[in-house]
Amino acid sequence: MTALNSILKGRQSQPHLLIEVLHDVQDLYGYLPEEAMSAVAQELGVPLMEVYRVACFYKAFSLKPRGKHVFTVCTGTACHVRGAKLLIDQVKGQLNIEPGETTEDGLVTIENVNCVGACALGPVVIQNGAYCHHMTPGKLRKAIDKSRGKKKKEERAHA
Amino acid sequence: MQQYVTLKIDDARVQAIKGASVLDAAMASGICIPHLCYVPVLKDSGACRLCIVEVVNDGRTKITASCTLNAEDGMVIRSNTERIRKLRKNIAELLVAQAPNSRAVQDIAVRCGVKEVRYPFRNDNCIQCGRCVRYCTEYSKANALGFVGRGKNRHVEFALGFRRDFCKKCGFCTEYCPMSVTPCGGSMKSGEGRLCGNCESQTATADKFTGVCVRCELGRGFGCVRQTYV
Ligand code: SF4
Ligand code: SF4
Ligand code: FES
Ligand code: FES
Repeated sequence: MTALNSILKGRQSQPHLLIEVLHDVQDLYGYLPEEAMSAVAQELGVPLMEVYRVACFYKAFSLKPRGKHVFTVCTGTACHVRGAKLLIDQVKGQLNIEPGETTEDGLVTIENVNCVGACALGPVVIQNGAYCHHMTPGKLRKAIDKSRGKKKKEERAHA
Repeated sequence: MQQYVTLKIDDARVQAIKGASVLDAAMASGICIPHLCYVPVLKDSGACRLCIVEVVNDGRTKITASCTLNAEDGMVIRSNTERIRKLRKNIAELLVAQAPNSRAVQDIAVRCGVKEVRYPFRNDNCIQCGRCVRYCTEYSKANALGFVGRGKNRHVEFALGFRRDFCKKCGFCTEYCPMSVTPCGGSMKSGEGRLCGNCESQTATADKFTGVCVRCELGRGFGCVRQTYV
């Protein structure tokens, strides 16, 4: 919790910093743990309900722990027209999870957002913060395989 | 000293305290504008849109919710024109479709002239009027409830999903929820697109005395301010 304290340091009782603080918490843990949200509410002087509401409102925040690799598929209008649905179908078929879920081994999380502001490059997939343009189901499959495959190799190395 | 403004509502000259809403002014002078999300002790949020009126300005009319409209000097308001009745009926119909098992919503829909619902039922059991949330935040000051999510996923929820110890258990949220009025025996069943006929006689009288509160029994269902003041 010390890391959390350093995030909150100097920001006490300043409700307007809520989103900034939540971003930092999200970066720290990869998601927003309940205790952290309670602490943020307490320290900033924002009702917990508000914190929760904000956390639920923005796709940038996640309430559940996310996998090691996060694939964010843009399903905004432009990307939709250019076949984002095929990408989602690809993911569902390949990993057997719905957008917003994480694979059982905790390796891959799939999320969807509505427009990331790079419509001309669509369909866009963001892999761990890196934008991948003109995605196709095939490219996405390879990228996902690669992110999961690495683990397999590591496992083999350990074995 | 209390300052007053004079405005015209349905051709009647009405005085209202400065800062009051058009809905307040109308209700205080006995003109019934149907309303649902409006609660006297809470801030108005304009969520249900039932209280729409026409504002006449330079011969042009604009339609807006009267609970969030400040009464101003010389305003001309029409609350019961053909156009308004039609729109209001449509809004009421949509509300019934959203929560067909709520007695209060049915009552008010009948008051607005709804006899049949043309929209598919959503069975949501919440019309997002925000009464519970506003009671909890403004009146009980507990902040235990709030709207969560966006668009069609917006819904009322406790902080982090369950009742916290800072909920004061005051019960206002349920008491003032239009869903919590016990349904009458003849209420619409889910899957049936017709309001029960028991209330139609009431609507007939309400129709005759247009714009006047007839102390309709129906008003009790949704906690009409006039009924609670009596
Ligand atoms: S009972 Fe709890 S949730 Fe409901 S209004 Fe009171 S404090 Fe809020
Ligand atoms: S739960 Fe009831 S009071 Fe709260 S928003 Fe829904 S309908 Fe309104
Ligand atoms: S719609 Fe995908 S980036 Fe805008
Ligand atoms: S009473 Fe005015 S919008 Fe609901």
